[in-house]
Amino acid sequence: MKAEEKNTELVVSAFHDALERTPIEKTRVCMVSDIPFPPRLIRPLGVDFFHTTRGRAIPFATGMKLGNPKLKVVVFIGDLVTLGGNHFVHAGRRNMDILIICVNDSIYTRIAGEELPVKLERIRFSSYGSFEESFNIPHLANSCGAVYIARWTALHKEELSGSISYALQKNGFSLIDVLSQKSDILEFYHTNSEVREEEDTNNVAITEDKKIIVGKFIDRQRPTFIDSYNKQLSRVMGDKFVKIEV
Amino acid sequence: MEASKTLTIEKEQRHPMDELLRMDRIPHIWCPGCGIGAAVSAFAAALEKLEFDLDKVCVVSGIGCTGRVAGYIKLDSFHTTHGRAIPFATGIKLGNPDLKVVVFSGDGDLVSIGGNHFIHAARRNIDMVVICVNNFIYAMTGGQVAPTTPIPAYTTTSPFGNFEPPSNIPRLAEAAGAVYVARWTALHLRRLTESIVEAFQRPGFSVVEVISPCSMYYSRINKLGEGIDMLRFYHDNAIIRHGEPTENLDIDYQKQIIIGRFVDRERPTFMDSYRKWLSGAESISKEKVDEKN
Amino acid sequence: MKANPEDVFTGVYYIDGDVACAYGAIAAGCKFLAGYPITPSTEAAEAFVRRAPEVGALFIQMEDELGSIAAVLGAAWAGKKAMTITSGPGFSLMMENIGLGAALEIPFVIINIQRGGPSTGVPTRTGQADIMQSRWGSHGDYEVIALSPDSPQESFEFMIKAFNLAERYRCPVMLMSDECVGHMTEKVVIPPASEIEIEPRRFYKGPKEDYIPYKRESDLVSPIVKAGDGYNLYIIGLTHDERGYPISDEEALKKDLDKISTNRYLVDKIRKNRDDIIEVVEDQIDGAEVVVVSYGITSRVALKAIEQARSDGIKVGSLRLITVWPFPEKRIEEIAARVKGFVVPEINYGQVAFEVDRCSHGEANVILVPHGGASVHDPKDILGAIHRVASEKKRYENVIEYTTGLEMSVFGKRLAEIARK
Repeated sequence: MKAEEKNTELVVSAFHDALERTPIEKTRVCMVSDIPFPPRLIRPLGVDFFHTTRGRAIPFATGMKLGNPKLKVVVFIGDLVTLGGNHFVHAGRRNMDILIICVNDSIYTRIAGEELPVKLERIRFSSYGSFEESFNIPHLANSCGAVYIARWTALHKEELSGSISYALQKNGFSLIDVLSQKSDILEFYHTNSEVREEEDTNNVAITEDKKIIVGKFIDRQRPTFIDSYNKQLSRVMGDKFVKIEV
Repeated sequence: MEASKTLTIEKEQRHPMDELLRMDRIPHIWCPGCGIGAAVSAFAAALEKLEFDLDKVCVVSGIGCTGRVAGYIKLDSFHTTHGRAIPFATGIKLGNPDLKVVVFSGDGDLVSIGGNHFIHAARRNIDMVVICVNNFIYAMTGGQVAPTTPIPAYTTTSPFGNFEPPSNIPRLAEAAGAVYVARWTALHLRRLTESIVEAFQRPGFSVVEVISPCSMYYSRINKLGEGIDMLRFYHDNAIIRHGEPTENLDIDYQKQIIIGRFVDRERPTFMDSYRKWLSGAESISKEKVDEKN
Repeated sequence: MKANPEDVFTGVYYIDGDVACAYGAIAAGCKFLAGYPITPSTEAAEAFVRRAPEVGALFIQMEDELGSIAAVLGAAWAGKKAMTITSGPGFSLMMENIGLGAALEIPFVIINIQRGGPSTGVPTRTGQADIMQSRWGSHGDYEVIALSPDSPQESFEFMIKAFNLAERYRCPVMLMSDECVGHMTEKVVIPPASEIEIEPRRFYKGPKEDYIPYKRESDLVSPIVKAGDGYNLYIIGLTHDERGYPISDEEALKKDLDKISTNRYLVDKIRKNRDDIIEVVEDQIDGAEVVVVSYGITSRVALKAIEQARSDGIKVGSLRLITVWPFPEKRIEEIAARVKGFVVPEINYGQVAFEVDRCSHGEANVILVPHGGASVHDPKDILGAIHRVASEKKRYENVIEYTTGLEMSVFGKRLAEIARK
């Protein structure tokens, strides 16, 4: 890969590796994204790809999963929490069986006391820096009830692939936060990230004073939306109810 | 002599809250047994204690039963669109930071359609008080399921019983960054009033959740009695536990409800961060201007 | 093909328009509803959810209308007939994704039980002011189909029509009902399934390797597939070519018509097929001096006025729009050449009236009988307008507004006062 290629493409490449090594029928896998990935990146994956309006990939994926529960829907979302925040919170609460890969290219200007080598032209709008705090996404996901939460950087391609492969076989609302800024900072991620498996999500916010914490934070079981639906309606309707097959 | 007697009688008949209510719109539309009126009374009592300049307090509501509150309170009241009370209030606050802004709306308006605005305003720590009346249902539109409806309550859009896990509002508020989070019920009015006072005194995004009966829909459809029966239920089943970790605050159907003050912390508010950034930006631009000269 | 007997609740009912919409959708084979409560449409969702488990349909109450419409698009790609139900404010929220649905040529149905507007308006009362929005609401070029029922019976029947049209033309179809029809309880006869024709989804039947997503057949519609069938779909909302791939800047600059023509087709597939889509109900148009053009609940109110006008000796014809969009432009043009004028009563301050005027090309007068909403017209006003058109000697260039009794009593005096100051 050429150095100038966006790190978001590394994420797709990790997804490709995960698909190859996971015992799952590729025809079952659907990719829903609000990022307009070009055909040359997507076609080699061999899955169905759907592009949606910004931030609405999660409800689109919900509709797709409920329309055909046999599909495994993977959401590649760029705008997880800005436009898509509400959908994220409610899909998590319902434990919708979808895997979300957040292609997180938020601009952080300072991490662990170091200035990021991000070219200033790219952040013209805030050449004086930004002042708003950003979300601690893994913690938000945890409070909404996600069953699998992990964070990796575009550098940790192997681990990311492993996480995706594991999550593809897990049922429930899963989130993998992938830090992948649009610049040549793999070197930076190498020196400034730290793997801490099962860290309390309260502590994984990305702040100026500490390294980026990556790893798998949450892995648990909860009944999915369709499980709960089947259980409730069977209880009330008895044999008359035909369960939804997943 | 007769004249002064009549005057005295009139004075005694005025209600302490009259100053704060739009009396020409009373009687209100809320059902007998509804808890929203109680929340409004607590709010009025809190305002009295705080002794604010009432010209500088704005009330913003959304759509729904609780959304009607703005229409009955005699302050600068704004009855906005569904779910957008918080961004509207954000605009008011940023437009004139001297104003005190309170968002008075329901669980559906604030956490369902307004959920995104809720978490972002908490993240930014915008200085406002959010009073969220939670009656576990969409009452104004006829009793549909809400994101706070417990399992397995009946509603018109969960005719087989709700099966979706409900939102835990204090937990969501805390995870998003709110600095003050409390929960009371329509029964615990004295403590609710104190909480609203505290919420106003804390700079930043404060959330006070008020568990309220809905006698027309929630308790009727689920055969739980009327408003008074729900209040009795709160009396017998609400436990005060200040500082309880928010992950334990899920509300299960007709089980114990934990109430109290859960989060009380400090974070720089949006305006603090903005002012700090502004002074930094100003000095950078000043340097640039100096460089050019 | 015939409807599935399990989906059709054959029988005679006494139900309201909202419930009839839900039953109609189920009869048409709708298996997915994502919605959000909004007065006056909630009864439709409630009726759907009560019957959904027995027909294998799924209902989800999303967190907002934006989520609802996105979920509908997703479910349509998963192969299900999908719809959402809303009213004015929700309709506005859904506009961006309606555009996406139109651009991706997804078949879906939206029911808009119109209410008083704008903004929060009058939630519990009727209106017909979303008509123009249904066609032009989202940004960019695309065409939709919109139907307007005047009774619970038609609400049932038009839902089936709506789903059939959506499948045939792969476009958004809107049922523009209103609160009056939605909350009106009337007799609804649901026939046996063998008497209901439903259009199955136009699935592609050729070899997988030859599948080109937007390669069109003679009626400019392309056959569709669904997710998970191994077609390696690439579906994107950017303006795309036949393969579904986004066109590059260079291709757009070169005005490579073959590449950018997808937008052309979005519009043409409805415009070129309009003769098959447009449906109107005509009555005594031949020899008429005045023609009343109406739709929805207003057409029922207009009947009374037309009856009275005919007994007053005026030759009045009636053109009732079943499909509001696409608009029957040619028919209006033909009629305009032969009549004195049109009367267009609608519960808004002028929407379809301007379409009628546009298509008359100055050959006939057009009188709008407006109404601010919250109730239906007084037939006397429509009658007055008919009389005026019949007796009018002057030819007006633009639409003239008839001053209704309501306007006179409420606004007339106030406006006169203001004018005097």
